[in-house]
Amino acid sequence: MKHEYKETLLYVENLSVAYDNTVIIKDITLIEKDVVREGVHCTGQVIAFVGRSGRGKSTFFKALTGLVPTNSGKILIRDFENKEPNAAKSVKEGDIGFVDQKYTLFRHKTVTEALKFSLRKTDLSATEKDEKIKRYLKEWGLENCADKYPNELSGGQRQRTAIIEQLFSSDQFIVLDEPFSGLDVGNIEEVKKSFELLSNSSDFNTVIFSTHDIELAIELAQTIYVIGYPTINGKKEHYGTIVAKYDLRDMGMAWKEYCDDHQKLAKEIIHQMMIS
Amino acid sequence: MKAIFWVAFFYINMIKYFTPFEKISKFQKTIILISWLVLLIVIWFATTAGEKHLFPSPGQVLKGFTELYKEGLVVHIFNSLQLCFISIFLATIISLLFAYTWPIPVLKSIAEFITKFRFLPFTGLSFYITMVIHEARTMQVWILVIFLTTFLTTSLIAVIKDIPQEEFDHAKMLKCNRWEVLWQVIILGRLDYVIDVIRQNLAITWMMLVTVESIVVASGGLGFLIKNSDKFMNTGRIIALQIIILLIGLGLDAGINFLRKAIFRYSKI
Repeated sequence: MKHEYKETLLYVENLSVAYDNTVIIKDITLIEKDVVREGVHCTGQVIAFVGRSGRGKSTFFKALTGLVPTNSGKILIRDFENKEPNAAKSVKEGDIGFVDQKYTLFRHKTVTEALKFSLRKTDLSATEKDEKIKRYLKEWGLENCADKYPNELSGGQRQRTAIIEQLFSSDQFIVLDEPFSGLDVGNIEEVKKSFELLSNSSDFNTVIFSTHDIELAIELAQTIYVIGYPTINGKKEHYGTIVAKYDLRDMGMAWKEYCDDHQKLAKEIIHQMMIS
Repeated sequence: MKAIFWVAFFYINMIKYFTPFEKISKFQKTIILISWLVLLIVIWFATTAGEKHLFPSPGQVLKGFTELYKEGLVVHIFNSLQLCFISIFLATIISLLFAYTWPIPVLKSIAEFITKFRFLPFTGLSFYITMVIHEARTMQVWILVIFLTTFLTTSLIAVIKDIPQEEFDHAKMLKCNRWEVLWQVIILGRLDYVIDVIRQNLAITWMMLVTVESIVVASGGLGFLIKNSDKFMNTGRIIALQIIILLIGLGLDAGINFLRKAIFRYSKI
């Protein structure tokens, strides 16, 4: 299937984060562009980050979302309020949505109250907000949960609420830290469906997630980055950086059923992870 | 043969009650509780049956109850409860101010300093309070408020410290500024915990209240009654009062817990 790269949505250059003089991640550079497919109405971007534990994936996500200050580098995202082509802005807290492993929600707000809260800074009228919330609750199978508190929701319902909440509040970017960890088969399917819904609802929706499940990363993502310790001049450094990138679209493996080629790629990614 | 079978059956059934971590049903728990109560009552009757006994007999305690009732026990309970509620209300307001300002760097030290006051002796500080406040009832209220504030502030700060970082990050991700984070995560998000903190500190409140009432005599109260009974070595009355104080304390604890669950549907502490 033919695809075309359009404008840049995410630009990260030489990003470094250190805590108390300990460098956690360094020199992370990446560019993600909007991709349009021939004959497909909407194609959101799904990007996976894999790597062994302690290599700085979570720190990178926190830096990306503005939750931790960076020591150097810059993060730019497409400025959707500016109609100029390729208009970009620096990332501030809240520009990129972040869903953690626990699918944290406000414990004192019902699903509807939480979604209303996340829409508070938009220009929509009260009626438009109500309509938008009702539409999403229906599309995401949460109609029966509108008046429920987080402690009354199942894991899957919590996760979907957390994603919609971030989608409403952020600028079409969502980062999910290990969304599949500790989930059963049924819940994994629900998360996959959420990814599908996100991809199909806007061309600009960009989902970035980390996982330890390589096969799942290959199945869902169009770009996979491996974060690990780099080897420079024969010496293994102890900070995380991107050690490998696999663009499944250019490899002709994106948007396809899982096959032998995907299996070979999984082995290659695991090898990259093990040596870094 | 039948007897051996029954002995073995009884032994197998009983052994689990003496084995650590063994699970038993609610009914079995109730039976165990009732058995202990019956045993306690039997011991009480048995040890106080003779002429000389340290502990008052059930008859003496019952007599104590009747005397106390005739002396206006209900009014004294009302006075104690009134003092309890006024003190808790004022102490909670003050403690909340300290706890909610704890995340503000410049005010953090003040809140933490207040918590250290809980190690100060009761009588020492009450001496200074008596120099400033002269009306007995007001004095009782402020002695209690000052001491309760130190305990409540400590517990409330512990609640805030226990909030997972993810909850703060979640609020920040929804474009909340720092004041909104404080309002949404700490103030609104932990409102049910305030009631639980009051409940947990109620035992200290109740204990202090009786002591304060016996030190500073104002408008009666349970502490005043204990002190009076103590003077005349009326042990029956003292035990009757202790039972009343215990039952009111347990009732308040259960009532507040019920209130928390009834008001806050999302509360699962």
